Amino acid sequence: MKNFQIRTKINGTVAVLYPRGHLDAHNVARFEKEIVKQIREKNYKIVINGKELNYITSAGMGIIMGYIDEVREKSGDIKLCNMNQRVYETFDLVGFTKIYDFVSDEQAAIEKFDHVH
Amino acid sequence: MFTKTPDFAVTFPSQTNMLKMAVDLTLHITTLSQFSPTDSQKVALAIDEAVTNVIKHSYQNQSDKEITIEYYLNADGIKIKIIYTGLPPILVDEEINLKKMIKNKRKGGLGVRIMKKIMDSVEYKTVNGVNSCEMIKWQKTV
Repeated sequence: MKNFQIRTKINGTVAVLYPRGHLDAHNVARFEKEIVKQIREKNYKIVINGKELNYITSAGMGIIMGYIDEVREKSGDIKLCNMNQRVYETFDLVGFTKIYDFVSDEQAAIEKFDHVH
Repeated sequence: MFTKTPDFAVTFPSQTNMLKMAVDLTLHITTLSQFSPTDSQKVALAIDEAVTNVIKHSYQNQSDKEITIEYYLNADGIKIKIIYTGLPPILVDEEINLKKMIKNKRKGGLGVRIMKKIMDSVEYKTVNGVNSCEMIKWQKTV
């Protein structure tokens, strides 16, 4: 079984990404490919649901850093939800919890997009 | 004081598929050394970041090079030394500006920040063409 997998579900105008497993420099290209695919398809409202993500390094966080400005310029965002404590603490180590929008669950993340006009 | 010879050492090829092995091994050793689960996970993350930097920057993704990790243990903490050849690290000693990095669409540059946040000391050296990254984590005193 692969250490990292990702799938996407389109919910209205929001693309919800479900990364699963261990996200490090070895498999970060798969994560980047999925984010780039959503941007190419003009899905600028992106939620990353981390309920099955158990590990992340700066490689994965760097991908979000590299694309978040592009989607924000197009009135979108990358919101993060359901992160387990270990993953959340890794984001917090670098200071991303103050800059990215972390939401408790997927529905709340989607609804936050609905309130942006 | 740590002993002069490592308590454990491992050498592996400069390939990113080895990262998980380095993380799992470090988790194992720090857990055996009585670090808390949280600290063990953080130290393992610091090793992941350090080895990733070696593969990406020093070896520029060449997969036929070698990396050695040495572990030195004592009752007060752990010293972990990563030894490699390739290009010496270029370290910029300035506080990173996340907002600026986002604006510039940067994807890298966070690894050393993570290592320094986690470990009590991080020191890079180059002697006779051999580079090392030496990191120490002390046990928390209650």
